[in-house]
Parts: sequence; C-alpha cells; structure tokens
Amino acid sequence: MDRTERTMIEIRFHGRGGQGAVVASELLAQAAFLDGKESQSFPFFGVERRGAPVTAFARIDDRPIRLRTSIDAPGVVVVLDPGLLRTTPVTEGIRSGGLLLVNTAADPASLPAPAGVRRAAVDATRIAVAHGLGSVTTPIVNTAVLGALAAATGVVGRTALEAAVDRFVPAFHAENRAAVDDGFAAVRFAPADAPAPAPVVPVPAALPPWPEGPVASIPSRALRTAAWRTLTPVVHTERCTRCNFCWKFCPDDAIGFDAEGYPVIRLDYCKGCGICATECPPKTIEMVAVAEAPA
Amino acid sequence: MAKLTLPDSERMYSGHAACPGCGPALAMRLLLKGLGPKTIVSIPACCWTVIATPYPTTALGVATFDNPIEATGASISGLRAAADALGLEGVQVVGFAGDGGTADIGLQSLSGMLERRTDAIYVMYDNEGYMNTGIQRSGATPRGAWTTTTPVGGSARGKPEAKKDIMGIVLAHRPVYAATVNPAFPEDFVRKVERAAERKGPRFFHVFAPCPPGWKFDSDQTIELGRLATDSGIFPLYEVDEGRYRVTRKGGALKPVAEYVRAQGRFRHFTESDIAALQAEVGARWEALLRAERETAAPEAVPVAAH
Amino acid sequence: MTRMVLSGNAAQAHAARLARVQVVAAYPITPQTTIVETLADFAAAGELAAQYIKVESEHSALQVVVSAAGLGARTYTATSSQGLLLMHELLHWASGMRAPIVMGVVNRAVAPPWNIAVDHTDTVAQRDTGWIQFYAESNQEVLDTVLEAYRLAEDPAVRLPAMVTEDAFYLSHTVEPVDVPSSEEADRFLPPRDARAILVPGTATRLGSFTGPDHYVEFRREVARAMERVPETFASVEEEYRRVTGRDHGGPLPLYRVEDADTVLVTMGTATTTARGVVDDLRAQGLKVGLAKLRLFRPFPVEAIRSLGAMVDRIGVMDRSFTFGAAGAAATETAAALYGSPHRPTLSGFLAGIGGRDVTPGEVTRMYRALLDDRASDVRWMDLEPTGGIVHG
Repeated sequence: MDRTERTMIEIRFHGRGGQGAVVASELLAQAAFLDGKESQSFPFFGVERRGAPVTAFARIDDRPIRLRTSIDAPGVVVVLDPGLLRTTPVTEGIRSGGLLLVNTAADPASLPAPAGVRRAAVDATRIAVAHGLGSVTTPIVNTAVLGALAAATGVVGRTALEAAVDRFVPAFHAENRAAVDDGFAAVRFAPADAPAPAPVVPVPAALPPWPEGPVASIPSRALRTAAWRTLTPVVHTERCTRCNFCWKFCPDDAIGFDAEGYPVIRLDYCKGCGICATECPPKTIEMVAVAEAPA
Repeated sequence: MAKLTLPDSERMYSGHAACPGCGPALAMRLLLKGLGPKTIVSIPACCWTVIATPYPTTALGVATFDNPIEATGASISGLRAAADALGLEGVQVVGFAGDGGTADIGLQSLSGMLERRTDAIYVMYDNEGYMNTGIQRSGATPRGAWTTTTPVGGSARGKPEAKKDIMGIVLAHRPVYAATVNPAFPEDFVRKVERAAERKGPRFFHVFAPCPPGWKFDSDQTIELGRLATDSGIFPLYEVDEGRYRVTRKGGALKPVAEYVRAQGRFRHFTESDIAALQAEVGARWEALLRAERETAAPEAVPVAAH
Repeated sequence: MTRMVLSGNAAQAHAARLARVQVVAAYPITPQTTIVETLADFAAAGELAAQYIKVESEHSALQVVVSAAGLGARTYTATSSQGLLLMHELLHWASGMRAPIVMGVVNRAVAPPWNIAVDHTDTVAQRDTGWIQFYAESNQEVLDTVLEAYRLAEDPAVRLPAMVTEDAFYLSHTVEPVDVPSSEEADRFLPPRDARAILVPGTATRLGSFTGPDHYVEFRREVARAMERVPETFASVEEEYRRVTGRDHGGPLPLYRVEDADTVLVTMGTATTTARGVVDDLRAQGLKVGLAKLRLFRPFPVEAIRSLGAMVDRIGVMDRSFTFGAAGAAATETAAALYGSPHRPTLSGFLAGIGGRDVTPGEVTRMYRALLDDRASDVRWMDLEPTGGIVHG
C-alpha cells in the first residue's frame, strides 16, 4: 500500500460537560471497530464541568494509527451545542474541504466556517427530546448526532453504530437506536456556493510577566462562562420586590442590581443554573432557552 | 435599593469553574462575606482546586495557598505561625477542604491542628464524596447513596456504611467554636462565620454543600435541597461555642426525610424500609442534639440574696 | 566566635538559632530528635524567637514550613529515614512553591528490617525532588553548611529548598569541638530573608495554582534553571562565609592530595575522614592516590567531576546506598558526568557502610587496591560478612 496516501479521518467533537461528547467519540470509535477499521478516541483531559465546553477526539483509519496527539487539523468537526459557535473557535485548524456538522435547527448555510469547508446541520436536540433521551433542558444528543455524522461522511455505517449503541450504551437502547436512525435521515447540507459567516476568533488575554513561582493573580472575571449556559434567566421587574433572594443564592455572583435596586443578570458569567428563578419568592425570573433569550 | 440581608463585599470572583448550581461555590462566596480582606485560604486538592481557575487566573479575591490533599490542617498551622512570626496584623487563616480531604485522608492533619490549638478556621465543605475525581464514595458519603465506587445493581445497593460523624470527631478535640452551616440559610451561615472570626483558637465549620451532578438533581434545586436537608433533620443547623450547644434552626416538627431522599437520583433505589431506617436514624440524632443543647445550656442565673 | 564541643545534632540546632529562623516544625525520629529538643530548649531560654510548632507527623512538619515559607518566613525542620520518606510528596511542593526551606536530615537506614544506623538511601532517594543536597563530614561542616544553605536557598537567583545531611551517630551523636560564630558574625553573613514574590495577605494572589500542558513545563524549567545557577551562587556564598568567619569547606567537590594522583576515590559524608587517613598511609607507601568529597550531591557537580576526570586515570566512587536494579547513585551520576567529557578515566563503584556497617581503613584500603590493580567493576559490595553473634543488648 502507498504509505503516503492519507486514509485516516480525524474527527473533533465539541460539546459541553454532560452532553455526551466524550461518549460520542467513544461510540464512534467502537462503531468503526465493528466496521473492521482501526480506531482511537480520547477526551481532552481538562476541567470537566457540567455545562463547560469539552473537546473529544476520534481517529479512524484502514491501517494502524500511529499518532497519539490531540487533533489540531481535523477533517470533520462535530458540534453538539450550537451555542459553542458563538464562544469557541470550533473550526480552528479544520482542513480545507473538511466538514462542519452542527446540532442545530438553524439553516446550515448560516453556520460560520472558514471558506472551503462543507457545512451540515441536524436538529439532534429535537430528536433526543422526541425519544426521551436526557431532559428537556439537558438532552443527550450524541446518538442522533452520530447518525447524522454517518450519513454525512460515511466514516461508519449505520448498522455498526446501532450495534455499538447496543453494546456500549448502558440504557435506552431502542431509543438511542431510533435517534441514530432519525439523525441519519435528518442531516441537511448548506449549498456549496452559499457564503459562510466568519467563525469567532478568540482573543486570548495577555499573559502576565512570567513569575518565578506558580503565582496566579488575574481575577477570573477575565474568563467568561456565558458559553456554559443553556437557559438564561430573564427578570420581569414589574413583580420584583427587590428582596435580594436571587442575589444571595447565586453561586456565580452573576447577579447585581441596577440603580433602583432591581436585579441585573451578568450574562457574561451566568451559567444558567436556575437557582434564582426557583428561589425568587414572587417568581419574577423566568428561565428561557439561550437561543430565544433577548440579547 | 434592594434590601441586602448579607454583606455586599464579594471576595469570590465570577468566571470561576464550578458546575452550575454548585453548593461548594456558594459556600465559598458566603464564607468570604463573613471574613475580612486579609483572609488567607489554604485549599487542598478538591473541587475548589479547579473551581479557582487555572494559572494565571484566580477566582478568589484573597490570598490563596494550595496544599496537598491530606495536609490542610498542617498548612493552616504553618500559615498562622508565619503570620504571627512576621507580625502580620489582622490576618485570618482559613483551611477550605472537601469531605474526603478532611474526614478521610486529611483527618490526621485536622486532628493535629485542633490539638495544637492553631488559631485558624477549618472549613469542611461536605459534598459527600470525591466529586472532583468523578463521584467516588468517601467516609462522608451517606449510607445507601449511589456513587461510582458504590454502585447499585445486582447485589450492590450503594454505600453500605454510615456517614462519618465529623462534628463528633472535631468536638472531641474541644475547639473554641464549631458550627454547621448550609448555604440555603445564608444569613445564619454568614452570622456564624462572623462570630467565629472574632474568636481565637481552632474553629471548625461543617458546610452542607449539595453537588448537582454527584447527587443527581437539577442545578436549580441546590437551595431547595438544602432547606429540605435541614428541615428534615438530615443536616441540623447548630453551633457549639466553648462546648455549649445551640441549635440555630428549630421549626416545629421535622419534615419527613422521604422528600429529601426522593429529590435525588443517588437515592433512587431506596425502598420504603430504607427511608424508614433513615427516618429513625435522623430522629435519634436530632433528639441527641436537643439533649446536648439542654445539657450544655447556661445555668439559670442564680438570684443573689440581698444582704 | 566561641569554641564548643557539640554533637552534629547540636550543630544543626545552633545553626538554626544563628539563622534566626522564624518558624520551626518538629516531629521526633531517632536519631534526629535531639535537634528539635535542642531547639525547644533554645526557644524556652529565649535564645530563639521562633514559632515552634509541634506537629503530628513528618508530612505535617514539612507542610507547616512550606506554608510558613510561602508567607515569607525563614523556616527550619529536621528529620531522618522513614520521616523523610513520608515527606516525599511535600519535598516536591517545597521546590515547586520555590520555598527556601532549610532542613537537617540525619542519614539513617530505611526499614525493613528496622535499623537506625547510618545509610544514605533516605536522602539519595529524594534526589529528584528539586532540593539542594549537602552531605557533611564533620560537625563544623554541619554548622557552617546550614548557615550557607540559608544564604544559598534564599538567593533570588536560586530560591530553592536545601537539605543538609549528616551521618547517623557518626555525626548526629558524636561530639567534637566546633567553632560557633557569634550572632553578630552570623547576622553579618545572613541578613533577614528577602521575601519578595510570596503570598501577601490582602492581595488576590494564589500560590500553587494549577495548569494544563500550556504552562506546566515552564514552571518546571524555572526550577531546573534555578538548580543550574546553584554552583555559581554557592561559590559566592562560600566566599562570603570565608570572609566573615575565616572558614570554608572547599566548594561542592573538595579535593585531597589529587595534584599528581593517578587514582582517586570519591566519598560522601563521614567515610571521607577515614579515607583521608588511608590516602596519607598509601601516599607514605609511594602510591599516587587522592580523595574527592562529594559535598554537594544536588545539583550534581558535573563540571568539578569532569575536571577531576581530566587529572586522573582511575576513579572509584563509594556509595552508602544502593539503587536496586542499577548501581550506587553517586557512581552512576559520576559516570554520566564523565560521559560528556573527552577525559574518561576507568570508573569503579563500591558499596560500603550500608545500614551502619563500619567503613574501616582496611576496607577503604581494599577499595584503593582494587582500583590500583585495575580491577574495575560497576558494583562491588564491600565487607559482606555478617559481624557479631547473637547477643542481647
């Protein structure tokens, strides 16, 4: 075989802690193995927090895989949560001619990506909710997304994916298989000639002068945790009694007050836990899906 | 203006890396509201190692010192000694450790710190397991709870052993002040911290710190769950000041524990008899607490005969 | 300066007193205990104004001084053998936190079986922890090196912890005359700790922190660089010590009668004294032998070893500990240092004095004879015959 020929496919998953991105990469590797391929999957070993952005990797090849590094030039990028497109440079390093697959109800032509990247969408959230996978606020979308990935790329077969679900998913086998099927059928592509919006380019904060010892001194307010949020609190001040319950119970100190003493959510930091809404005595705070929240 | 029932000082920064609805994050926020700007917090390996965010950022507006998991008691003894040796004024030294780092691997160091009468506050935030490593059982995990090392299924039904009584262990060392606090009762929490801050010598807090991913409940229920824990007697609020007990929240009758149990996925497998057993245990503990309060109450003022 | 008859342990305590240490953490272990007992007496007598913290373990002892040093205090603790092994985790913390702690270590064998006699396994096993390691030959050297170690450890170019070791009983409990500097002399040599870049109450700073692959290696490299600066810094520290006290101990690798030598033995600790006598005897017989004392084991004095290698035909290295599966650590490190040199003399390793077995003049003589007879080997266990019968008490 020609050793210079590139047969390896490298896939990078972006999701949030709790959504199943790591499991998605594992399931994909298991399915590829069942298809008779060599495969490899691993998470990025970082801070794993529910709602926090997480990255996982998978490699699939016909030949033994001779790389043990994270994937910085993926051929396929899978995004389990469309909110990440606003905050995380998910398409960083993606190969020209590569594919971006996003779980979203939106038109794939609206997805930001570098030029020369194919774009596809699947409404995996709707599929997961329809099959009762996870909760409405935290649906487990990974199997629906994998179905779409199989359809969009052919890196694994649908049958192998379903077999992997049966073998390696601990529960809800029928529902997850159905989600694979629905995802397979529901993938949508942007026209090749449709212009793509530019992806976000993060501007990292400048590092302080290097200390001789490990001394950290930049307040964490420099780090925005808005991307962790799937639900956004909206305050209806007309019924607010300015009682301070929302403020005192906030684990993120993400609530301040305006000049008149009404609560103001600091959306850069709010993780959308919902404590303020639940604890508000007159119920003036409403948790709404991020996509529908007023900017 | 809003009617603030807590100090408006904020020494825990937003942008930290706690999960949504994190009990330990709220616990830190409330603790620091009761303490001054010259607080030094020593933190072992625990959720807060990560919550405090990676180099070069920090989520704490006070001086923070990292120490290995089993050595928080010793670390605060060292910080106190240095502050005294260097003549640093107004410094409050605090250890902030999880239940594993306190009641399991850190117990020796905690005991040493209490026994040598270190002038510092030791805070154990109790999320009832090794949550940072992915929900393993600790000595502080309650009986019957599911964790990744006490599975449920087959012959396994969660953790077989009882929760370790850390307050009993600490009180046997006769600290100057020890109290239980719960972020669901923030005014009580901060009042106790302020009270402890005025004292000299070893002080201890046992903090109820609900963990949504570890205990399997929705992130908006952290406070509600805390309320249920205290009002059912699972986690009573009290303080022991120079040996004198005072229960700081007493309603009428305790709520049944069933509501607390049913609100969490880690107890999903509990049967009615499991709940009844827990109810009996909680009732007995509560009675013992009330008895301790009665027995250590200040003697009635003895009228002095005029002469 | 006062001349006193002191044990090595008392020399450690006097040095800590003269250094005006501010925080001492103490936990007993034989044969270290008299160090912290003496310090307790100094504190009780008002001769030492330190916070003296009695801890419940060696692990906590080192944590106390790591934390205290993090806040800017000058600190001291001491341990031995099992206690040092228990400290292992905190040894890494001390160097990583850039805490300029000085610790006295009485070298003692590691169990099992229990044995409280001299052996270097305890400290040699800590060579990868980022600590500077000095091995002393006499009680005078113990005292002087502790004072030098503070100056070196706290130097802004270094800022690393240092341990000053002494052989169990042969120094720890052996009394001999020692020149003790006056407080004025000690103060002149060792100013109060310059405590920049430490944790300041009232500031939002976190000492320790955590990092991913993005920053971790840079912090390790900082520790490595600090280690690289030790030889140069130590040279100036020792020069300053000589200026104040009129005394020094010859740098990291003091040499004895090597000028025209063809054969040199490298030793650590008290065996050096005995070997020096043997060198004199063999010289009297016309043999061109010399001696090098490995005083500084971390950082390993690579340049000094290479210079020595360029002068002689044969080097023997005596280790008082053994790295199972390899050889003596000083021998392998010497070999590694010489590999990068164009002058590579024949190298032999000797294991002697393990677990308190006496290193006698006869045994040292046998080492020189083996070298002179060109019977080189990587590992030669000396004096393996058990001594003594079964006697109680």
